Amino acid sequence: MSRRDQIGAEAAAFIGGAPASLEDAAAAAAQLLAQSGQPLIAGLGADIEGARAAIALAERLGGVVEHMHSAALMRDLDCLRETGVMLTTPGEARVRADVVLLVGDALLQTWPALNERLLRPPARPDGVDVTRRIFWLAPEADAIIPGFDGDIEVIAAGLGATLAANLASLRARAKGRPVARGQIPSPTLDALAAVLKGARFGVAVWAAARLGALELEMLNGLVRDLNETTRFSTLPLAQPDNGAGVLAACGWMIGFPMRTGFGAGAPVHDPWRFDAERLVASGEADCALWISAFGAPAPAWRGAPNFIALSERATRFAEEPNVRFVVGRPGVDHDAVVHSPDAGTLVAVTASARSGAPSVAEVLALIAACLEDASHRAC
Amino acid sequence: MLIRIKGAHVVDPANKRDEIGDLWIRGDEIVAPPDGGAEADETVEANGLVAMAGGIDIHSHIAGANVNTARLMLPEQHRAHANRPAATPLSNVGWSTFETGRLYAQMGFTTVVEPAVAPHHALHAHLELADTPIIDKAILTILGNDDFVLGLMRSGEGATAIRDHVAWILETTRALGIKVVNAGGVAAFKENVRSFSFDDVVPSYGVTSRQIVKALQRAVHEAGVPHPLHVHCNNLGLPGNVETALTTIAAADNLPLHLAHLQFYGYGKEGPQGFSSAAPRLAEAVNAAKTVSIDVGQVMFGQTVTISSDVLRQFSARGQARPKKYAIIDGDSNGAGVVPYEYRTGSFHNAVQFAVGLELFLLIDDPWRVFFTTDHPNGAPFTTYPEIFALLMDKDLRAQWLSRLPKDAVAVTTLPSLTREYTLNEIATMTRAAPAKLLGLPNRGHLGAGARADVALYRPGKDIAQMFRAAALVYKDGDLVVRDGAVTHTRFGRALHATPAVEASMQRRMKEYYDARYGLPSDFMRVPDGAVGRPHPFEAVACAR
Repeated sequence: MSRRDQIGAEAAAFIGGAPASLEDAAAAAAQLLAQSGQPLIAGLGADIEGARAAIALAERLGGVVEHMHSAALMRDLDCLRETGVMLTTPGEARVRADVVLLVGDALLQTWPALNERLLRPPARPDGVDVTRRIFWLAPEADAIIPGFDGDIEVIAAGLGATLAANLASLRARAKGRPVARGQIPSPTLDALAAVLKGARFGVAVWAAARLGALELEMLNGLVRDLNETTRFSTLPLAQPDNGAGVLAACGWMIGFPMRTGFGAGAPVHDPWRFDAERLVASGEADCALWISAFGAPAPAWRGAPNFIALSERATRFAEEPNVRFVVGRPGVDHDAVVHSPDAGTLVAVTASARSGAPSVAEVLALIAACLEDASHRAC
Repeated sequence: MLIRIKGAHVVDPANKRDEIGDLWIRGDEIVAPPDGGAEADETVEANGLVAMAGGIDIHSHIAGANVNTARLMLPEQHRAHANRPAATPLSNVGWSTFETGRLYAQMGFTTVVEPAVAPHHALHAHLELADTPIIDKAILTILGNDDFVLGLMRSGEGATAIRDHVAWILETTRALGIKVVNAGGVAAFKENVRSFSFDDVVPSYGVTSRQIVKALQRAVHEAGVPHPLHVHCNNLGLPGNVETALTTIAAADNLPLHLAHLQFYGYGKEGPQGFSSAAPRLAEAVNAAKTVSIDVGQVMFGQTVTISSDVLRQFSARGQARPKKYAIIDGDSNGAGVVPYEYRTGSFHNAVQFAVGLELFLLIDDPWRVFFTTDHPNGAPFTTYPEIFALLMDKDLRAQWLSRLPKDAVAVTTLPSLTREYTLNEIATMTRAAPAKLLGLPNRGHLGAGARADVALYRPGKDIAQMFRAAALVYKDGDLVVRDGAVTHTRFGRALHATPAVEASMQRRMKEYYDARYGLPSDFMRVPDGAVGRPHPFEAVACAR
């Protein structure tokens, strides 16, 4: 059986909620996209092949490329493109860190393997033992990491502007500068600053989803300062739904991250203008193609523009999309390349439960083929 | 289909051909002229055109995680790109893989090596290369700051284990060769060492940079890999670092060794600013060391971004970032730094660097051992190649350029006294014949029968740069891809990778090692055929073992 036949056998597609063949659904989707004045390709929870196909489709349509976790991604990215960053990998942090500074909440949700990968130092094959002190600044209320039996020194530091101010105080103390009395008692602040300065190779870990621009700028600045005398780096946790992978593919294919539009002929990157939520809420986007192959929930867009969805079978929608495709999960239903938060890089994953469900790239190829036909009025 | 390219000035140093004549292409190969006056299916009148094999760039940072970090760091540098007719997919985007392939092809280059890929980023690099159209490409994988190799050396396991590891890495990451970057220095930086020289010892491992380079040089040689160990020396960019380069050259000990971007190591400490050209000493040493090859890493003026796995060097240079931002990365057994930089004609240091590169080109007498690079984008973007060809071929043009540089800087170089002008034959040797030999690609870099039909035809004129900027015709695998300096259609080339014999025992050992150290399967860095999303994305290159 050819791959094409396999797709047909297990696929499911819907037009207006009614079951349809893949071909008919692709033709219907292509028609909506071709009619659109401002198409939006959003969600983009896809493997690398899916992301490549989506970016190519957006360019061809003069559309916008967006990802569901862009807001958090952009906050980390802004530090890179505005001031500079020091980065390390999950692997290097695991084998080397003698001080780990966890910052903010939502760490476990972002990286469930935090404990086994990072907090428990491995027995190193070279016999060099790492003793690891772990601090958690501004954790969630209970600050518990399931399965972790070591000590975590917890420091309440608020969130938002409070956390930003506390980080600023910590940075100032690490530089030996005086600070006004803040929320964290001076002895605690000074003790932490001393530990950070005394680290041999420290690593700060955070999830940008829950931190603001100011907090991130302070954290990166703190780490830059620490490197004047010692070694310290950062591990901003990768966004789920292959956010880091899609960002990489955007980078090499168009030079820009997501939130880039092709309507002007050449790509234009504008984090405000091409925010999917804004494009939909304002009505600027009149057709959205939304992709979520890793099970992330659908956006609550109501009365939205024409809506084409590529998602798992179980995904629930506020309103049934005009056209809907059920796609397989990358690395489960089909082989895929995705960014691995454990490896900190793009990896090839073999399907764990191979099925005939089509991949995002395969569905987008069908739609693209119909666009081609549409231009010859054959579809 | 039989194509006859008729009446071109064929410059093919590998076959000692430099004459007006014909080239015959059948399918994707150059063929001998057919017997008995067989007719071509297509005849291309090439009177007045210069024909060379497709250019081969042995060292250009065009793909991979670090290059991509630079792209994302510098959105402001994409803005200047003007819209072009949308003839090819993604033809209107700025600094991208698609743009890279297009621009190289238009200059008549058909094979490019990305020289610095950390093992764990091999798949990422290959994905980018798969999206780089027209040209063939390859990666060099980096070893020598990694815990595994340093651990083997610390425990005194010896040459066989390192050789087997080199073979395993080449196969797993699908690389054409091995590079070492500031051997030991990158590992030492993780332990807060801030300067590192050839005989310094890596903390925790007790081995010197010299020992690492020697061990890897031998391992690559004994694994039968055609391309010798590709070395990025210690102390890049520092005044007086010519001593480091001379010491490294002396350590080659009559085995093949390639030193990358030697210009960045051609500095003495003389002159009013304690920074001077030491290119003559360096060139003399290279001329005498017959097993050593080098590429230049020419500096040209303008905005660029430096992308290097020498994180120690990049960290030291972070204060010179322009615009003021940088990324310093402590990677898995590797490092990386991305620091934007602007080379300025008014800068004493930059002027000396510009001169040192040209001095090396002009003072190293064997075009088979000096390779044409800017260490793209570190010395300059590869788009400056046409200007550099012109500078090499025209001493009057060099004098013009020198006239606008600081006089005290020019005074600490010998460039004004050098009158050599490269011939087309020497250019073709340096950018075609010699790279094919250095990389072990017998069917490239020449125009003899059996060669791959990668052919560049240039229209010579007074403006040498224009000649090389916009090739008149370029064939890739016998397929016309460029006409009058513009890409006519897009196709995709292949990634070339060495195929040494891999020992099963090393495979088992790496599995155990990765499991213990990283808690990951050792094959997470593998590059399966199906993963990069192009048909026939790879081409094997034979090894001697």
